[in-house]
Amino acid sequence: MPKHIASGLKYLAALELVRDGYSQKQISKMLNVNKSTLSHYLNGRNISLGSIEIAEIVREFSPKDFLVFTDAIIEDKEATKTIVKTCLVNKYSAEVKDSCIGCGICVDTCLIDAIVLDDLKAHINSDICCGCRICAEKCPTNSINILEE
Amino acid sequence: MAANIKEVKAKDFNVERSAEEDRELSFKDEVCVGCGVCESICPVGAIKLGSIGAIVRNDIDESKIEIDEDKCVLCGMCSVGCPVDALEFTVDGTPISEIETYPKLISSAEIDDDTCIYCKACERACPREAITVARQLPERAKLVTGEIDIDKETCIDCGICEEMCPADAITIDQKGPEDFDINVDKDKCVYCLICKKACPVDAIMAACRSCSYGEYDLNPEDAETTGKALIDDDACVRCGWCEEVCPVDAAKVEKPFEGELKLDLDKCTTCGACVDVCPCDVLFFPKSSAPGTIDDKLMKDEQFCIYCGACENVCPVEAIDVKRTGIKCTPTKSKSWQKSIDSLKN
Repeated sequence: MPKHIASGLKYLAALELVRDGYSQKQISKMLNVNKSTLSHYLNGRNISLGSIEIAEIVREFSPKDFLVFTDAIIEDKEATKTIVKTCLVNKYSAEVKDSCIGCGICVDTCLIDAIVLDDLKAHINSDICCGCRICAEKCPTNSINILEE
Repeated sequence: MAANIKEVKAKDFNVERSAEEDRELSFKDEVCVGCGVCESICPVGAIKLGSIGAIVRNDIDESKIEIDEDKCVLCGMCSVGCPVDALEFTVDGTPISEIETYPKLISSAEIDDDTCIYCKACERACPREAITVARQLPERAKLVTGEIDIDKETCIDCGICEEMCPADAITIDQKGPEDFDINVDKDKCVYCLICKKACPVDAIMAACRSCSYGEYDLNPEDAETTGKALIDDDACVRCGWCEEVCPVDAAKVEKPFEGELKLDLDKCTTCGACVDVCPCDVLFFPKSSAPGTIDDKLMKDEQFCIYCGACENVCPVEAIDVKRTGIKCTPTKSKSWQKSIDSLKN
């Protein structure tokens, strides 16, 4: 079952990526799916409608639930990052306050590598940030604000 | 996310988190002076200062600080604030004192070997036993010059010279009742002429050449003591005792904190906790000047104070106020770190 849902999520991401103009070769790399499976997905074969329906429901989860669920089910960090980026459309701007102490907990917590430390302060890449707010929850000094744009 | 792993070894501990970076905090109890700077600078309240008064008096056998590894976020601030380097923090194996983005207290203690005369005054004065002076004394034989000869025909084997020689340079080898050898070890003899004066039969001819002719055949360099003065950085607290006692100004000490130490003698109950805890021998009880008189309750040599605040923390009646007015620290771009460092001023 988890594999089916994973296929559904990859299918949804693949559709978005095709729309964005990526080639099947690129997409198969980005989602870690072999090319023939991908071409089956895109032609509507070999994937049950149920999987797609569940994936559609999962897509409506909050960003945090979507990310944690996807991360658990996909078991491939780069593919997870691609799926999160393509399936979650809302944009977020992340702000780190001066109270940040540079402990790096957020860097360790972020499932999609959106945070780096520089000069003892966290810097969040808003282009990557999916708005899950896991970092903000874990931050010991409440220094992270994530705002939906 | 990876949880912190704590490892306790006797009174020392390590807290570690390995994820994007390997962060590790190590505490050395032996180096810690129990000042509590780490407790006050910790942004998440993970460090608790132990009962320092009881610990320094060996009433209890505990670590001077305790850390809650579930609260610790491994930021490294305690390590930067610690004035005696009891807490070391490393990121990916590199101590943050070597990473430029982290601020660092500026302090040092150095003894210049070119100036040092190896008198060991600093070694005796150091309250932390952090200084070792390893010295090579000059050869005695090269500092004196003279001649000595014992006329064996005149010598009566009385042994007075052997007994009296302050340098143990004369030996008599008794081979039989009337058979003996008498020898002078010229590496030991200092030409003091004691033997010559004491000999009851004037069998000894001796002369000190430097007394008669001056030191023309002595090389002044042979009289120099050489060596090395070593400071154990772990034990040194930059108190400045070595700098004060050095007769040739070879010791230089830079302290990380500036401040003021105030004693309220009306409140002081002379319990002595502060005297016991002070790592710098700043505080002491005066000796009474005459029987039945009491001078000041407690005295201070403030020039040796490092303003660590250990005495203030340990005083049960708030009779001590340690005011830190300046923190010498390398700059940091982080506003929160600067704020934390500035918060050590009070």
